[in-house]
Amino acid sequence: MVERLSFYLERSSPLHRLNPTTKLVVAFTLILVAFLGPGLLLPSLIFLLILTPLSFVGQVGREFLRTTVRLLLPLFAFLFVMQSLFYPGGKTVLFGFWIFSVKLEGVRFAFLTATRVLVMVSSFLLLLFTTHPGVLLLDLTQRGLPASVAYILASTLQIIPQMQAKAATILDAQRSRGLDTSGSLGRRIRALLPLVGPLVFGSLVDVEERAIAIEARGFRSSRPKTSLVEIEDRPLERALRWLCLLAIILALGSRLWP
Amino acid sequence: MAVIEIQNLTYTYPATSHPALREVSLTVEAGEFVAIIGPNGAGKSTLCYTLAGFIPHFFKGELQGEVRVAGQDIRRVRLEDWVLKVGLVFQNPFNQISGAKFTVYEEIAFGLENIGVPREEMKRRVEEVMALTGIEDLADRSPYALSGGQQQRVALASILVMQPEVLVLDEPTSQLDPIGTREVFQVIRRLAHQGVTIIMAEHKVEWIAEYADRVIALAEGRVIGTGTPADVLTDPRLPDYGIGISRYTAVARRAAGEGLWPAERRLPVTLDEAEAGFRAVEEAHAHLH
Repeated sequence: MVERLSFYLERSSPLHRLNPTTKLVVAFTLILVAFLGPGLLLPSLIFLLILTPLSFVGQVGREFLRTTVRLLLPLFAFLFVMQSLFYPGGKTVLFGFWIFSVKLEGVRFAFLTATRVLVMVSSFLLLLFTTHPGVLLLDLTQRGLPASVAYILASTLQIIPQMQAKAATILDAQRSRGLDTSGSLGRRIRALLPLVGPLVFGSLVDVEERAIAIEARGFRSSRPKTSLVEIEDRPLERALRWLCLLAIILALGSRLWP
Repeated sequence: MAVIEIQNLTYTYPATSHPALREVSLTVEAGEFVAIIGPNGAGKSTLCYTLAGFIPHFFKGELQGEVRVAGQDIRRVRLEDWVLKVGLVFQNPFNQISGAKFTVYEEIAFGLENIGVPREEMKRRVEEVMALTGIEDLADRSPYALSGGQQQRVALASILVMQPEVLVLDEPTSQLDPIGTREVFQVIRRLAHQGVTIIMAEHKVEWIAEYADRVIALAEGRVIGTGTPADVLTDPRLPDYGIGISRYTAVARRAAGEGLWPAERRLPVTLDEAEAGFRAVEEAHAHLH
């Protein structure tokens, strides 16, 4: 009944062993550098020379490439068609057909935007593939994220599949008593209405019990919390994070003083 | 020594006009296993919530009378500390899973993390209760990917690991199938043998008859009977209050109506007692012929 809770893939790679915050900082740095840094090729180089090799170090290379392509290919196709044809201020015509003409400026803009989005999406994918959400949240909690915020994030991850299962059960129950959920779009939407009541009100009742349950486990205890799992944070990683900060400053500098 | 002392407890939930509990008085000794029976709406859950401190600290409402657990007035305690004294396990196994943790092992450790237990002691205590509740083999599973009986044992382990003085169970098997029910009752019996004070609201009278030291019957918020399982569960008024009786009692009562149960013998509440009674009847008949 329980589906996969996250993108996480269990492997024993050096990338998996990195401190979650280090991975988070590196992901943000790569994204910022891709968006702020100079040159047409920088984002694509970040993807080809940093993210892709890293994904193989993390033993998730195949999944990484497959998911990235699946997520982004439709978007990229759309982006290239629209921008190469309709980019405002495009002058250099590469080739034309019928009433359309493909312009160099548009292609360049589409390429840069696409590769920036590619870096943004793929660096987060790599983070999620190699970092268990529980460990990431634990590390952030130990760095000052309030426990209640971490709880909301973690429980949401777990409760969404449960809600889906519950919705499916309610829908089945209603269908078995003759609710028609097929046909035109309007009819399908109308068929969803009876689902909302039991799902929402049922969940509200659950919330009270859940509150009692975590209260009974000392969640609001005033004592300092401890944790079962110890998360490693080596000096080398701390240095790497400072290096990331430097890279961000450099990228910002290249944008401000080109 | 009495761990729980309740004197004239009357409690009304907020925004309701009728009290859920009326002038309830009872005491529970340390190490006792007390079962609370009664029809739906009799006040069993309310009594459980009161002992665990959720009344009056979580559900507000109006509480009159005296409730002392381990010598402390329930009104004066702080709920976040009280959960270490009295542990509460309730009906729905699914809603007791915190949602904050991804494996059973971490789920059980969650409470200990919250109260700041050092890591080594945490591991020792988690492994101890997993052995006690028979869920060692589930350690790395997701707490959501379990059967109801397994989930309820995880919930029970998660509370036991905090080592409460009193364990309050509010119909812990009502949503379980017969196998899940047996799994949970076996753990509870083990705890009772270890001398944990247990208060359990429960409908399944056959199990109560086997396990409980004492039974308290509630109806419409009042205590209508208290005593050994044999005394309370054979009380002829129980069906009038909508409380189910053991099938052994039911069969023997019908047999008694037709003169097939020894007149001097109390009605049975367990299979063994029923068997003994019917054998006595058989022997008496054999003598006649």
